[in-house]
Amino acid sequence: MKKILLASIFLLMFSIKSNAQISKIELRATGLTCSMCSNAIFKQLESISDVDSVETDLNTNTFIVFLKKDNKLNPKTFKDKVEKAGFFIGVFIVTATPEILDQNIYILVDSKLEKQTEINFQVLDKGYVTEKEFKKLSKTYKDVATYSTNNENDFHIKILNQ
Amino acid sequence: MRWIVAFIVILTYQKTYSQELFVITDPASNVPANSLAVNIMQSSFKEQFEKGFNYHFMPEVTYGLSKNLMFRGSAFISNRSNQLYAEGGSIMTKYRFYSTDDLNSHFRLAAYGRYSFNRADIHQEQIEIVGHNTGFETGIIATKLVRKLAISTTVSYEKAFDNRPQYDFPSNFGDNATNYTLSFGRLMYPKKYTSFKQTNINIMVEFVGQTINENGKTFFDIVPAIQFIFNSQVRIDLAYRKELYSSMLRTAPNGVYFNLYYTFFNLKKRNDNGK
Repeated sequence: MKKILLASIFLLMFSIKSNAQISKIELRATGLTCSMCSNAIFKQLESISDVDSVETDLNTNTFIVFLKKDNKLNPKTFKDKVEKAGFFIGVFIVTATPEILDQNIYILVDSKLEKQTEINFQVLDKGYVTEKEFKKLSKTYKDVATYSTNNENDFHIKILNQ
Repeated sequence: MRWIVAFIVILTYQKTYSQELFVITDPASNVPANSLAVNIMQSSFKEQFEKGFNYHFMPEVTYGLSKNLMFRGSAFISNRSNQLYAEGGSIMTKYRFYSTDDLNSHFRLAAYGRYSFNRADIHQEQIEIVGHNTGFETGIIATKLVRKLAISTTVSYEKAFDNRPQYDFPSNFGDNATNYTLSFGRLMYPKKYTSFKQTNINIMVEFVGQTINENGKTFFDIVPAIQFIFNSQVRIDLAYRKELYSSMLRTAPNGVYFNLYYTFFNLKKRNDNGK
């Protein structure tokens, strides 16, 4: 009985853990000039091992990246890949389970978490918005101490579906 | 939720059709990190003082080491001695040190250096370390993208040495020069993208000039070009170079370029898969 209890606790923990994940990223790249450049970003995104598929809108330079189950990816991986291709991110939107916020790398600004099965949030940090947008946001969030420190390993997010 | 995403996309949406993959000059942008670009460059220039054409065959490989740093190696083969002859080679590096990107524009600065060796005869006052002279060149590139148009400019210092072992640099020629270029590029087709497979057509015009520092002798050329990009991976350039003004000795200033360019993306991943 004890064993079953332990096993079920373990399973429960495991399932919670695996629930906390990103299922989809929608990013818009900036500074692009041609489909050859988009292709460079496409190939970089495709090379991430937990990426299932990538859809592209070449006219807006928007990439929708579908991730595999149980991935442990965070936004930085995508930022690094886009920059490796020689470009930058202008808009970065994540679709994930709400449990992702239990990971203390995400800092909620300007929004509250309500009960929902899936959340969409935009990452507001430097490198995930355009430079102009970042200047604006820096003023808006000048009281958020962690925002201005530009730590690469935490992400300030705004929930979009509330 | 969809509306919010759509709203953000509409807010930030603005078409940026343009092109900066110039024929003669390099843009401040680099090749993607961990990618290898192979360029087969051919040119044929009409000889001014004798019959025939000066044909150059210059294969080059470019590797992106990081997002800001790239290296290039080139070989120079020509028919100046009436048969194809490997005259020399070159190594080049370019570092992008400034970048400011927005949704419909970018501005980038890069510095580059190139060293070339060449054993061909020295037959003109024009200093050209790409295929003619032994020497080095170092310069700064600024590239600006404004909506549909890419504009790029380069200023560089170029110095020639003797073409060893046989040909000394003539003492009555100036051995160092200032180079300057101004390039415009624009995407003409497609008007709207539907896939990576679509052929892109770009037109460009470049102005290329050189002044020998010692004596002020100068040339100034115009280079119109048309460029096709297939499958977002293969690039073909066709360009014509025409002298507009020259006060220096040049043996073959007018001619055509034909470049074939192929990019191998994500080399390391390829290797991993191959294991």
